[in-house]
Amino acid sequence: MLNFFKIFKVIAIVLWSAFVVAPFLWALTTSFKTANGVMGGATYLPWVDYEPSLAAWKGLFGSGAGSIDVVGPFTNSLIVTLSASAISLALGTLAAYGLSRFRYKVGPISNTDLTFFFISQRIMPPVVLAIPFFLMLGYFGLLDTIFGLIIVYVALLLPIAVWVMVDFFNNIPRELDETAMIDGCTPFEAFWRVILPNSLPGLVVAGIFCVVFGWNDFFFAFTLTFTNTQLLPVAIVSLNSSVTPWWSLSASALISVAPLIIVAFLVERYLEKGKISVASK
Amino acid sequence: MGYAIQSLNVHINDEPHLIDINLELPNSGVVTIIGRTLAGKTTLLKVLAGLQEVSSGALMKNKKDLLNVPAWERRVGMVYQQFVNYPHLSVRENIVFPLRRAKLNATAIKEKLDYVSELLGLEEYLERNPSELSGGQQQRVALARSLVKDTDLLLLDEPLVNLDYKLREQLREEFRRLFKDSTDRLVVYATTEPAEAMILQGQVVVLHEGRVVQVGECSDVFHFPATTISAQVFNDPPMNLVDGEIADGRICIAESLHVDLPEHLGKLKPGKYTFGIRAMDVVLERDGANAPIILSEVNGSSTIVHLDLSGRSLVLETEGVHHFGETGDVHFSLDASRLYVFSDVEGELVVAPPRKSVLGEKGKQNGQN
Amino acid sequence: MAKIELKGIGHAYTSIDGEPDYALFPMDLTWEDGGTYALLGPSGCGKSTMLNIVSGILTPSQGRILVDGVDVTNLGTTKRNIAQVFQFPVVYPAKTVYENLAFPLRCARMERTKIDKRVNEVAELLNLDEILQSPARRLTPDLKQLISLGRGLVRDDVAVILMDEPLTVIDPQLKFSLRRKLRDISARHGHTLVYVTHDQNEAMTLAEQVVVMGDGRIVQMGTPQELFENPLHEHVGYFIGSPSMNFMDAKVKGGVVFVLDLPVGVLEQARLSDDAQIKVGIRPEFVHIQEDRTEQSFCAQVLDVQDLGNSAIVNVKLSDDINIKLKLRENAPPIGSTCFIGLEPQMVRYYLDGIAVQ
Repeated sequence: MLNFFKIFKVIAIVLWSAFVVAPFLWALTTSFKTANGVMGGATYLPWVDYEPSLAAWKGLFGSGAGSIDVVGPFTNSLIVTLSASAISLALGTLAAYGLSRFRYKVGPISNTDLTFFFISQRIMPPVVLAIPFFLMLGYFGLLDTIFGLIIVYVALLLPIAVWVMVDFFNNIPRELDETAMIDGCTPFEAFWRVILPNSLPGLVVAGIFCVVFGWNDFFFAFTLTFTNTQLLPVAIVSLNSSVTPWWSLSASALISVAPLIIVAFLVERYLEKGKISVASK
Repeated sequence: MGYAIQSLNVHINDEPHLIDINLELPNSGVVTIIGRTLAGKTTLLKVLAGLQEVSSGALMKNKKDLLNVPAWERRVGMVYQQFVNYPHLSVRENIVFPLRRAKLNATAIKEKLDYVSELLGLEEYLERNPSELSGGQQQRVALARSLVKDTDLLLLDEPLVNLDYKLREQLREEFRRLFKDSTDRLVVYATTEPAEAMILQGQVVVLHEGRVVQVGECSDVFHFPATTISAQVFNDPPMNLVDGEIADGRICIAESLHVDLPEHLGKLKPGKYTFGIRAMDVVLERDGANAPIILSEVNGSSTIVHLDLSGRSLVLETEGVHHFGETGDVHFSLDASRLYVFSDVEGELVVAPPRKSVLGEKGKQNGQN
Repeated sequence: MAKIELKGIGHAYTSIDGEPDYALFPMDLTWEDGGTYALLGPSGCGKSTMLNIVSGILTPSQGRILVDGVDVTNLGTTKRNIAQVFQFPVVYPAKTVYENLAFPLRCARMERTKIDKRVNEVAELLNLDEILQSPARRLTPDLKQLISLGRGLVRDDVAVILMDEPLTVIDPQLKFSLRRKLRDISARHGHTLVYVTHDQNEAMTLAEQVVVMGDGRIVQMGTPQELFENPLHEHVGYFIGSPSMNFMDAKVKGGVVFVLDLPVGVLEQARLSDDAQIKVGIRPEFVHIQEDRTEQSFCAQVLDVQDLGNSAIVNVKLSDDINIKLKLRENAPPIGSTCFIGLEPQMVRYYLDGIAVQ
């Protein structure tokens, strides 16, 4: 019985891993192929099945025939995602703390309504938001600028940060703030010196959500930019013209996933050290 | 001088938590607030700390308004029933946290830290994280943090309730020692346990359903409970209360129980009353009345027997650990000379038995209490 | 209805150097059919390990466990006819009380009419019959805990009820009624009841026999009264009763025990050598103030007097090394005064290396 389950478990894990990893491997091999290698049917092993070439990778960074530059869009994406995430996290944490700790009441509207208002921003389909954003950015002359994109992304990421952090703060006993105030902290100091240092796990989670959503967004990046400030997802998709350069597409896709993989590894290391679990106690 | 609470009302989410509280508290010494769970003890402490908004009323200190002084400027310390410490700081940093906020210099901090950690036996734990300590030690850290700074007011909200029995016993005595000569600060101690109030002595405020029921010196409240509520809250087990009638020079409690009118009740008019008697004054007696046992329980070094007195519960307490079995009858009698009499409807004290202190004559003369 | 025997039961984890690291030292123990037992001790004393061995969650590294003479050491939990109640009530919140109680029987594919009969029986026993149709989620913790118990009892083959700190989450006011109910059930149905707790009062209130545990060993097993009056170990004297037992360093000369050069008793059978480091133990209830000095009275200085209303706890100093407590009903002496105290001779106990000597 026991053995059967063990074997079954191992097989299941292997199958699932293969399912997850296969696309990556496929993209990796494809990125070292040339047009001939791709068109000649499915091939897997470099040097055996096909002659590997660095053409696609060179094309991404250099200039030359059939090359596209990803460095620009990559940098744009990095700036926009990181700035928007940082701003969202900062504002969102403050807002969440307020929603968790203080009672607001304006007419019939109270805390729960406010919290829902934040979340409702994500419930709305992006298409509904796209046109107002386009018009607003256009009015202020911010279309196709990094600054404009950051503003839009903050609007998109803020609800996520608020949502995660409200829940997190609600689970920190109020007595901790009260004790801090009794020990001489103003409400802001209590937040800054006591609550925030104990909120690291929540901040990490909210931060990951922001970065992932921001980095992967295509829709707004596509609607609100033209050529000057292309973001990475848009740049990759725009490769797909009359002839699809699968090799370049694969290479650039891998590059776009790379930062997220690095983040995943860092967080995992961090989790392993147990820093998060201790802090959340 | 001291603290004055005037017509204080606190409503939280439209529910009254404190109703028309009027209290005068001294600037030093110990005041115990005793009441059952949800009596409003925590709310009252939070008002004193500046953590609770009041709906109406005033709080003055030495005739100055205290309500618009925020908590962080009030010079108070507070210990909660949960062990509240800063999880991200070591024990040492936890204790000196308030001193750092007050921007004391390093030598002063060191001096105070040494004093408090020795006082509470925390020297060897200073480098650890609070979560690595036992419950009792965690509560000591919280206490150290509230003792380390100069405060006018120290608030303790049922600090022992979440601790083990033996630890409770031990810390109770530590509190007595620590607060015995509290001449420079007022200690307000909230509890459900009469024994804690008795050990700390000082003044007692009996709180019930958001209202102050009685205020007085600890032993006065014990010997002369103003109402049936005081009598129940300030005795463990709660004082037995039974409805009865005085007629023909006898007290008739339930159908089966008649007691000759004791001397101290001689002048009472015949009529219906509520009679109160402590569990300790219900004594086992072979020739006494009998009643079936509901349950017997052991509490520390005494045994408490719950009896079914014609449908009402009567509690008897006896020294030592004894086995009474689950069924059967117990023969008992009431020590009539210890009967309290409360008015039938309002439950106000009518007559109390003459004060009988456990302290010897010499003890009272010496002013020990 | 079962007798449980633990024979040489012990549990050890093998440590790095190959030495067994005992969570529970090998022990023999018998729980009689229909008895109520408490396992009492602080966390980490081995009581939970023992409970898990009995319930079958843990297979002991050595020894055998017999239920009515049948070896069940290697049987799984479900085959042991054991009902278990945990610290936190386990109920299915979406189901009604009735469905909660019926669930184990439905899982066993019992006939519908039989289920109905059993559920009603158990509901009546636990006074749950009025609320059988209400959803479980709205109930108070004590009722939920009763349902957890009821789900254990509903199987008609249950022999033993194991309870792991079942009153932890119960409101103090409700503890009383639940305690009473537990006693009722065990008295009426004759189940063997094993109750794990760290609370002295709870253990002594509920159990006929209390097993005091410490550091993975049984320290003493006895009735509450025995534990109170005759602690076989210093630890029991400290742990049971409030205030704790007083302990004083003593010397033996020719079988006579002396505290501060005063004879307090005789130890003939033990044949202790004259340099034995023994301790005298006496409960505060059995130390008395004497009006006049006799040959057996200690001269004591009163350090502190706690007026508890009904009684007073008096802390006195006999010598620089010996402080003891007295519990008095009346006439407590004033702080700072000197008084004479005597020990009730038949209540004096003796301990050598922490263990009682007769």
